Amino acid sequence: MNAVRELGRFGLFVGSWFRASVTRPPPIRASIEEAYRIGVLSLPILLIISVFVGTNLALQGYNAFAPLGGQRLIGMFVALAGVREMAPIMVASMVAAKAGTEMASQIAVMRIRDQIDALEVMAINPLWYLITPRFLGILAVLPALTMISIFTLTLSAYLVAVFQLGLDGGEFLDYFAQTTILTDFLYCGVKAFFFAIIICFVSCFYGFHCKPGPDGVGGATNSAVVVSAVVCAALNYLLSELLFGGRGL
Amino acid sequence: MSDPIIRLVDLHKRFGELVVLDGVSFDIPRGKTTAIIGPSGTGKSVLIKHIVGLLEPDQGEVWVGDVDMATASERQKYAVRKRFGMLFQDGALFDSMTAGENVAFPLRFHTNLSEAERRRVAEEKLALVELPDVYDRPTAALSGGQRKRVGLARAIVLEPEVVLFDEPNSGLDPMTSDTIDELIGRMKKQLGITFIVITHDIVSCVDIADYVAMLYGGKLVEYGTVQQLIHSKQPIVRDFLKRNVELPPL
Ligand SMILES: Nc1ncnc2c1ncn2[C@@H]1O[C@H](COP(=O)(O)OP(=O)(O)OP(=O)(O)O)[C@@H](O)[C@H]1O
Ligand SMILES: [Mg+2]
Repeated sequence: MNAVRELGRFGLFVGSWFRASVTRPPPIRASIEEAYRIGVLSLPILLIISVFVGTNLALQGYNAFAPLGGQRLIGMFVALAGVREMAPIMVASMVAAKAGTEMASQIAVMRIRDQIDALEVMAINPLWYLITPRFLGILAVLPALTMISIFTLTLSAYLVAVFQLGLDGGEFLDYFAQTTILTDFLYCGVKAFFFAIIICFVSCFYGFHCKPGPDGVGGATNSAVVVSAVVCAALNYLLSELLFGGRGL
Repeated sequence: MSDPIIRLVDLHKRFGELVVLDGVSFDIPRGKTTAIIGPSGTGKSVLIKHIVGLLEPDQGEVWVGDVDMATASERQKYAVRKRFGMLFQDGALFDSMTAGENVAFPLRFHTNLSEAERRRVAEEKLALVELPDVYDRPTAALSGGQRKRVGLARAIVLEPEVVLFDEPNSGLDPMTSDTIDELIGRMKKQLGITFIVITHDIVSCVDIADYVAMLYGGKLVEYGTVQQLIHSKQPIVRDFLKRNVELPPL
């Protein structure tokens, strides 16, 4: 019952944002600044995690296929597990943890310090002023980060496969290329697009509805990351089913 | 008091079970300073949030000119708010900006001034609140009294007709408090601004206010000139005054 009411409030929230933003000019400069911030904030951790996810995909791929004599298939395994599944959800989780929590806590602090009311009284719509740049920024950056993560984890998997496991690099790339077609990248971009929307609105929603008192900001930040990560993970399954399901290789 | 700028008509507001405003009506005259007093938690802040349309009454009307803020569209509300400046309790300054950028902030959205012109106007307003050199100071580095004055500069930067001030003196030492009172008095005279000031401080109320409204238990228990308030026969008002004015005699 509570969840239904919360969902209703969330819908109204996004609706009000939409109405406020279509009637106002897009804040171009602020959006570019946000994109830059989100990118810079998330990129280092994302690169590190991507490298080590790549290494382990190679190792486990080898473990899985070597007993069957199919260790040549590592490239295919990396393409399926790494590109299609790991990279998009990993990037979404990292960005939710870094940029999403920052959105939630910044906005929550503004809420409890009356700064959002101050915006209202200055005749500046706070939904437009606070959300639109973050929305456009994350929408631009998340697909790019996903592509960077794909490249990084593939490269590290390749290096492990060739230099540690002694496999043939040409074969790795052949299988990888056979499995990954151009639309795979497009679909990863589609996933990133939806994840960006979820992270932005969920984080801003909890920021705007921060409860007063000392626990308010922490609670808002915590809810933001938990809810956006869970919703992204569930949606990832749905999207994979829709985009990749039943198409085979 | 023939020309009210704001007219409150039978305002009712409750939060759940808690009745905060229970039929409050009065007119706020143009170009004067009206103080709103009353014990903590009686709904003074809630009342002025109705005036700027941050809260909507359950029942009643809030007339600003010919707009009823209780039923106005968002566009109408925003048009009215451009004629208002409001100061929140701790200034509500944006922490990510310098003091001066905070003051210049509304100009970015409601004027076509260039960046240099905005800076000039902001510095002018900062000088008016006697903080001439703080433009580039980070907001976090300001003292409590300075924050209030920067907030005041921001509230008047668009040259509003009405400035609402929630507790200008709370948390300030008596001297800083006096400075703020003097500023309010000067701005009323020089700029013709209508001030609506919430205060706990009867001394400052006597210094700055032309009219005083006292709220108690969701009702308006007294409304009139400062002299009328001081000579009020109502026990609640007498009690409130007595407790507040132990130091200087009235
Ligand atoms: N948004 C809100 N939701 C629920 N209750 C509220 C809300 N705003 C105010 N209240 C309640 O309304 C009552 C009046 O609050 P208000 O802030 O107007 O008091 P006040 O007269 O300004 O007091 P103070 O002098 O301490 O600032 C309080 O009991 C407060 O808890
Ligand atoms: Mg108050």
